Amino acid sequence: MVRRAIQRAAACLLLGGLVSVGFTQPVLAACIAETDPARALTRMLDAHHQVSYRGTLIYERASGRQFFTVEWPGDGVSGELTRMNAGVDPRPERWSPPTLADYQLCALLDVYVPTLDPGRVVSGRATQRLTLRPRDTLRHAYVAEVDERTGMALSMATVVPDGKVLDRFEFAAIEFLERGIVGTGSDGRSAHHTQAAPSLGVSPVPGYFVVAKDDPRSLFVVSDGLATASIFIEPLPPNVPAGEGAVLDGATLTYSRGIIPNGKPILISVLGEIPITTARLLADAVSTGREIP
Amino acid sequence: MTARDNELEALSALMDGEATELELHRVLNTVSSDEALRSRWQRQQWVSQALSGRAPGLDSIDVSGRVREALTQPRPAARNPLWSVAVAASVTFAIVLGGQQLMVPADGDARPAVVSALGGGVVPVFGAQPVQASLETHSVNVPARQAFREPTPRSDFSPFYDQLVRDRYLQLGPVHAAASAGNHSAPFVPMVRSTEVVDPQAKR
Repeated sequence: MVRRAIQRAAACLLLGGLVSVGFTQPVLAACIAETDPARALTRMLDAHHQVSYRGTLIYERASGRQFFTVEWPGDGVSGELTRMNAGVDPRPERWSPPTLADYQLCALLDVYVPTLDPGRVVSGRATQRLTLRPRDTLRHAYVAEVDERTGMALSMATVVPDGKVLDRFEFAAIEFLERGIVGTGSDGRSAHHTQAAPSLGVSPVPGYFVVAKDDPRSLFVVSDGLATASIFIEPLPPNVPAGEGAVLDGATLTYSRGIIPNGKPILISVLGEIPITTARLLADAVSTGREIP
Repeated sequence: MTARDNELEALSALMDGEATELELHRVLNTVSSDEALRSRWQRQQWVSQALSGRAPGLDSIDVSGRVREALTQPRPAARNPLWSVAVAASVTFAIVLGGQQLMVPADGDARPAVVSALGGGVVPVFGAQPVQASLETHSVNVPARQAFREPTPRSDFSPFYDQLVRDRYLQLGPVHAAASAGNHSAPFVPMVRSTEVVDPQAKR
């Protein structure tokens, strides 16, 4: 009963919120990468449709560092990842294949400025440094070392504009495999890849588009092509007043806001690799909607 | 157009107050050795004064001589606009260079920060608190970069929400990671960031 009430409240708040912020629904055409940085960005986005590999990587953030082995595609469809310093005999976890498409390049170039410079050697391979600078304050910057031969990112750091690194990963070793990717067609593209230029979802915050919704555990998911945020709505725990709070772990920000519209307390939580400004705007997109009936 | 025409044109421009500095110097150099041109300048000066209703000038007044004298006298440095620009540029350079020096990481690595020239405004992450208390003993070893340190908590964040938000992060983080994987150029990264095991197949 409570769950249904929350879902109804969420639906109304989302609808009203998105209407109130005046979202846009752009019609995007496939972009043509005309510069070297844009071409490098395209190759990086498309790399997982072109290569298969296995390797070992390190991931670092302020709370520590972890080592992983990864394999793509692990079971032929999804990727495999094993945490090597989390426990004895760890079992592999699976990660979903990418669903990025060419048309997203257009959206990315609207909000990031790519530049390309000579890179350093990563995993014994020559790279180019691809820097993606945000055009506004609603997203972080990214610095990637992309493999010269495959275009795949062998390292990437999430950076705030004043130069502080929030988190980073880097392959210590990587082996590109000859085997093909399941679902790869005659054009060399996987079944997950699309060149179509569908209309992206609604945009509650400039540059971010709804890429998933109606998940039973989240209200909706937004992405600008690199950064992703999930928005959740739950009942506000008893005896907790209206307010807000946030924690940051690496690049992942968790922002929660408790509101009591019409005497029905709810908790809006935003999780994403985004600045807190963006998290607040996303919460606003939900909480400034119509009143709950 | 002959050289003589150029000289006459430059002289006319000078009389009209439209001569460039280059033309001015060229006219002065020429009249110093060209009696005819100097006489022409004097006549034009006289005609100009007569037409404007002022007292007729005296033929003995050598305007070019006065102009040359004014030009050859050293002017105070502070009144030279080029000097002012140079001073301003020096101050700006000193400020910019000084600021960059202050931003060099404390570890002495002089390589510039990778995003030191990032455009746009600074995005401070106010109010965000690291989840694990071990932050101060597990710093990120990132050469030439400044690892992110714990920011100052915002005073307007409710203490009720400290634990609440941490709980939400631990519970919802894996869900967010699973939802993010397909939208990342390195799709394993959301899983790497997540602290718990999530099987995307189990979600369906």
